[in-house]
Amino acid sequence: MKKGNYKGKIQSIILKAKNVYEIKIVSSVENILAGQFISILCPNHTFRRPFSVADFENNIITILMKLQGDGTKYLSSLKAGDDIEFLAPLGNSFEILNKKSLLVGAGIGIAPMLFLKKELNKNNIENYLITGFKEQDEVISGSDEVKIGGSVLDRLDDIIKENNIEVIYSCGPYPVLKGVSEIAKKYNIASYVAMERVMACSIGVCRGCTIELIRNGNIERASVCKDGSIFRGDEVVWE
Amino acid sequence: MGIEKLKTVLKSPNRSFELKTPVLGASGTYGYNNEFEDFINIEYLGGVVTKGITLEKRLGNKGDRIFETTSGMINRIGLENVGIDCFIKEKLPVLKEKNIDFILNMAGSSFEDYEKLATIVNDNDIKAIEVNVSCPNVNSGCLEFGKNPKTLEELVKKIRNNYDGFLIVKLSPNVSDIRSLALAVQNAGADCISAINTLHGLGIKLNYNGKTFTKKSVQGGLSGRCVKPVSLYYVNQIKNTVDIPIIAIGGIATMNDVFEFISVGADAVQIGTENFTNPSVISDIAVNIEKFMDKNNFKDFEDLKCKIRLEEE
Repeated sequence: MKKGNYKGKIQSIILKAKNVYEIKIVSSVENILAGQFISILCPNHTFRRPFSVADFENNIITILMKLQGDGTKYLSSLKAGDDIEFLAPLGNSFEILNKKSLLVGAGIGIAPMLFLKKELNKNNIENYLITGFKEQDEVISGSDEVKIGGSVLDRLDDIIKENNIEVIYSCGPYPVLKGVSEIAKKYNIASYVAMERVMACSIGVCRGCTIELIRNGNIERASVCKDGSIFRGDEVVWE
Repeated sequence: MGIEKLKTVLKSPNRSFELKTPVLGASGTYGYNNEFEDFINIEYLGGVVTKGITLEKRLGNKGDRIFETTSGMINRIGLENVGIDCFIKEKLPVLKEKNIDFILNMAGSSFEDYEKLATIVNDNDIKAIEVNVSCPNVNSGCLEFGKNPKTLEELVKKIRNNYDGFLIVKLSPNVSDIRSLALAVQNAGADCISAINTLHGLGIKLNYNGKTFTKKSVQGGLSGRCVKPVSLYYVNQIKNTVDIPIIAIGGIATMNDVFEFISVGADAVQIGTENFTNPSVISDIAVNIEKFMDKNNFKDFEDLKCKIRLEEE
């Protein structure tokens, strides 16, 4: 699927949980894979705002957006029928393996996990999605298990053992991704994490969103927007 | 007819360099070759100024590298690049295959670095180079060469001695008198000046969690629409000082911006930060200039340039 700058229309925008909006976008984008993202133009802002895709069905892109600052505030003010401009499809996608999969989403990190879960289900791959939220009114539905308060990481040991998990996928704040990667290492299973950084170009050119990876003993800089946003947990150099 | 109209020739006393259009992609914002191909009409790409290339590969700076500001951004990438050998082996063939005109941007931390780079690009028949003497984001060298007229003249002379092609020097706004630096560059035999590089900037973001403040700060080079008046000022100063052509850089986002820079002496422009906001901006502007010329019967870009500069205050 060729990347491009697309014009789309908002089909619906609804408040899904506290400070989280679900936005559905109609456009001519033909395909998006689980783990990929789009980058939306916000008037009077230099940077576009990147959003993981939470679903793609019948040419409709669904994203979940948490209110963060001016850019997201602008987007939350849009109404059904309004035009938006965005780059898509961006970044790599989750590698779908025929293995018992554990999906871990923390907060708004649930977005790509919902898309991935759908893809795994389509492929009849056994999976279990656990998500964590700080408070009840932040909960977004669609998981097999929800943890409110505390750390979602606290449940992973039990789930891995009970379900003979063979691979973990995760999206959420940095400490969660780091924790997931460490737990996967402990059980000697693969982990794939969706990293997040402030982005400028969204297409791998400006090198503004790089992270450090270790591959074959060498340190490399990879851009989250193009080389990622999905990385193997054991290749990320965690701070 | 068509794009022929946008052809731009940069002429110095000894050399000339032809551009498909007067609108180029600025160093560090446009990659090495065809990275923007999915987003633009490549026929209307005046050329790519490559990412700053050093002798050896560089990993660049650790930590947060970019910060969004009002109408702009701050970056501290730190000259991450593949190095000259890799550029010649892997990036150059794509530029040739795709027929993309380009200017190689080079950076070093010693006279020897620049001399070696000049020799390598000369041997590889690279038609134009832009010398970065003004990157504010690396610890060693670079900006220091762009601050002192004597040092800069010596540096450019050394490069000139090793390079026969079209030599552009990119100047920094973070100096006390840009005119003396522009003169030094001209005296040393450079063919063209590009200006400006980024301004020193510091971005601060504070968050209060109810108990304590957390602070994030990014110090680096400020760019984007907010720097346009600064760049207009410096381009005007350079034009009043030297005779060699000028490529303007700094906050350009529309056709009108291009016209404003032409009015103060620019012969061509580079688009930087705006590529991140609108990845098709370079071809959009070139197409708009072409339409404007067609509609108003300008015979070529030179004609348009002359008319803009004749405009009375």
